[in-house]
Amino acid sequence: MIVSWNWLKQYVPLAMSQEELETRLMMSGLNHEGTETVGDDLAIDLEVSSNRPDCLGHIGVAREVAVLWEQPLSIPAASPAEGSTPVDDLASVRVDCPQLCSRYTARVIRGVKVGPSPQWMVRRLATLGEASINNIVDITNYVLYECGQPLHAFDLPELIGGQIIVREATKGEKFVAINHKTYELEAGMCVIADAERAVALGGVMGGANTEVLDETTDLLIESAAFDPISIRTTARRLVLHSPSSHRFERQPDPVGIDWASRRCCELILELAGGELAAGAIDVGEQPAKREPVVLRLDQIERILGIRVDREEVRKILTLLGNEEIKADEARVEVIPPSWRSDLTREIDLIEEVARIHGYDKIPEDVSVPMAPSARRDIDRVLEKVRGALVAAGYDEALTPSAVDAAASEAFSPWSDADPLRLTTPILRGADLLRRSLIPSLLAARHTNQSLANPVIELFEVAHVYLPTPDGPPREESMLAIAGGGDFFAVKGAIETVLAALNPAAQLEIRPMEHALLRRGHGVELWLDGQLLGYLGEVSEAGLKQFQLRSAATVAEIHVTALEAAAVLIPQYARQSSFPAIDRDVNLVVDESVRWAEVAAVVEASGGELLESLSFQDTFRDEAKLGPGKKSLLFSTTFRSAEGTLTNQQVDEIREQIVAACEKKLGAQLRA
Amino acid sequence: MALADFLADLDSLLTSANAAFAAAADSDSLEVARVEFLGAKSGRLKTVQQGLGKIDKPDKPAAGKKLNEVKKAITAAFEQAQQNLSAGGGEDAGDDGFDPTLPGRRARLGHIHPITQTIEQLKEIMGRLGFSVAEGPEVEDKWHNFDALNIPPIHPARSELDNFYLATAEKAAGEPMLLRSQTSTVQIRVMEKTPPPVRIISLGRVYRPDTADATHYPMFHQIEGLMVDRGVTMADLKSVLRLFASSFLGGDVHIRFRPSFFPFTEPSVEVDISWQGGWMEMGGAGMIDPNVLRAVGYDPDEVTGFAFGLGVERICMSRHQVTDIREFYRNDVRFLEQF
Repeated sequence: MIVSWNWLKQYVPLAMSQEELETRLMMSGLNHEGTETVGDDLAIDLEVSSNRPDCLGHIGVAREVAVLWEQPLSIPAASPAEGSTPVDDLASVRVDCPQLCSRYTARVIRGVKVGPSPQWMVRRLATLGEASINNIVDITNYVLYECGQPLHAFDLPELIGGQIIVREATKGEKFVAINHKTYELEAGMCVIADAERAVALGGVMGGANTEVLDETTDLLIESAAFDPISIRTTARRLVLHSPSSHRFERQPDPVGIDWASRRCCELILELAGGELAAGAIDVGEQPAKREPVVLRLDQIERILGIRVDREEVRKILTLLGNEEIKADEARVEVIPPSWRSDLTREIDLIEEVARIHGYDKIPEDVSVPMAPSARRDIDRVLEKVRGALVAAGYDEALTPSAVDAAASEAFSPWSDADPLRLTTPILRGADLLRRSLIPSLLAARHTNQSLANPVIELFEVAHVYLPTPDGPPREESMLAIAGGGDFFAVKGAIETVLAALNPAAQLEIRPMEHALLRRGHGVELWLDGQLLGYLGEVSEAGLKQFQLRSAATVAEIHVTALEAAAVLIPQYARQSSFPAIDRDVNLVVDESVRWAEVAAVVEASGGELLESLSFQDTFRDEAKLGPGKKSLLFSTTFRSAEGTLTNQQVDEIREQIVAACEKKLGAQLRA
Repeated sequence: MALADFLADLDSLLTSANAAFAAAADSDSLEVARVEFLGAKSGRLKTVQQGLGKIDKPDKPAAGKKLNEVKKAITAAFEQAQQNLSAGGGEDAGDDGFDPTLPGRRARLGHIHPITQTIEQLKEIMGRLGFSVAEGPEVEDKWHNFDALNIPPIHPARSELDNFYLATAEKAAGEPMLLRSQTSTVQIRVMEKTPPPVRIISLGRVYRPDTADATHYPMFHQIEGLMVDRGVTMADLKSVLRLFASSFLGGDVHIRFRPSFFPFTEPSVEVDISWQGGWMEMGGAGMIDPNVLRAVGYDPDEVTGFAFGLGVERICMSRHQVTDIREFYRNDVRFLEQF
């Protein structure tokens, strides 16, 4: 809302400086957005919150000034002289859609002379950025900016039958607005029609067919109340936002409807002449009587933390237009003014007292009692996860929660159910809530590839949304990784994460087939009989789908499963004080024998003296090893808690291990 | 050939070999020297060795012995030179070509997303002020996103145009669901389950249909504080915010309230912090509206409470001088690696 300094001072004395005015208004609820000089006037831009439509006119702002500086407020009486012809003889109004238009008033003036507006009015409108059209249109605009109630003037003879019919638009109905553009209307929109056709889009814009022109002499002045939701929807659908729709969306003062109509007619008679018909047509609901509101004075301190003097409270409420009906030591009872539909409860009055008394009076150094607050396990787990991945060279990404259909279909191992769809996409095409983070990370790889970034190692922690047959989706927290290294690079990262959470955790690998993953290079990861997640190298087709030029390996891990496996308070274990002895073993086995099988046999046969087992390398050499064979080199470490082991002891165990591998896996010791 | 000549040849060979091996500055020049002196086909040692055949028979044992000694010495000198080179010239070597200004072997270090870093810092500070972390679902029902937050049934904030409603869930659940537009939903969920006192921060992703530009993104992060107890006042709110802001920014900062309007708080304020000689907008706050307290089963005559909300992106942007919010979600590793 732009306020003209010169205009404002018509209603309230402005003895303060411009800066003081701006600051105090800001500190009492009208945020100052900026001020510009226009001629000899100031255009002060104030932000009006949606609960304060009363401040969408100069009188409302003047009232705030009057309260803050305790100055008198003078509001025009708006009592135009009426002629003798009854208005009912000249026009009629029928409202067919009270749900869209709860009240419609009309006055008629005949014999006006349309012409230019006087300079003072042109200047005031110019300060607000409004161009002058002619005196009649200017007056309706002027009153809108004066009190916040939008008005419309019709060229009365153009209203067929002298009739106003307020009705709901029919679907597909065409309407030519005053801007001479044609709009196609929808059901739910409010049309002002005459006996035959639409002449205005109620509360949003007038029609070209009844526009006030230079030759116009007789006017019908509309002042009405429209449903805010319908106004809002209409203005948005047709992209027809106007000062009028802006105000109707916020519901102007219901009592102000008649005042605005009278004020408009008063100015027309004064500036354009003519004769006002007697009375007004007034169809629909009259403004409801306001209920009294009780303010218990002790509640002010209970909410604000400061005491406000009883007389100060009464003064503030009264100055704001509340009618005090009872006051005693403990309470004040008031009837709020018609223009403040936001004041209905005690707490609303407390807020009024607070903002006028001043929030700066509330201290910022009271002592707040202490309270315990424990860090959640999940936060500690994720800190370790992030720490391990960052140390392993991965950057954390954040990608949007919705994806497009192709990305959604690309990978969804956690659910086969159709993804949840949004009625509006979050970003272009992305209207499906993701069931996996992996497609998003592959898309991020593509973004980086197009920027020629050489190393793209990403991870993300976020929700996936797994649909359920009824009710909200299961939102599961996932950790996804997408790197440029091979299978073992990402597997190693996952093992590092696991080691950070629980050094004893042992991953179990189970085969998995998925079109996104290279055949045989995609697996399920299991931990203690629980599915932990998925890992694999992206297939040729997958790389092609995401337009990736270089290889990628992806993984997705269930964070809750990680949390379940985490040991956040490790327990002490006494370490042997005797030295260890290492033995390397090189076994020749069939290609089909997996390391995990060898490891299981070694661990089972190594007994309790086997402290650790670590894989070293795989060799393949058909000439030396024979076809279909490979050799596995691994190291074993032995240690006893009771004494120093001898070479002989260790060699015996090593022989046991080799023998077990020969028996169970057909392995042969390589010389 | 006279024995003396043979021995002299051997001595001079040893001297030059020693010099050549010592002078070799790298493995290539050492290899050249090795071939020159120890080469199997035409090395100089081989050449001298051929002279042994011409030595008179009685002198042969002495000549052979000397030859072996020199051969050993040259081989030893070569090995020593080789060892010196691979050991970087040995501890005592002076100008041995060691360049300490060459870059070290760095491990590639990843980076935690700046939004996560900001959230963790905010959580940590609020934790010290006694606020525990709470999270909740991002897909919400109307009760938690609107009704319980005192947003009237016809309020524009519920509009299809201002929210991401779910198309599929509507039929299934019988009531519309949507991506939450604020994390206050979590506060409702916590209060529904927990009798007062409550002191939490809720945080996470929220969603509003905005066209993405430098200052808007349809998805962003919020962090909201909530404190409910007997006797909680706006003075507590102001004081907690001041402790928070002082901890976050360092130094003594002041808090300013400007009146505002949010359906779920009354009174509602915008919070400014004194910062670098001016006022910086921090977020919205207020006393929890009695309707909200009632909606979660609290008695507004028994307890009062405050709530405040901060936009994580905005804090992160001003902290790191990020000028375009879209950078956070583009995931250009050159962006991520700056934090």
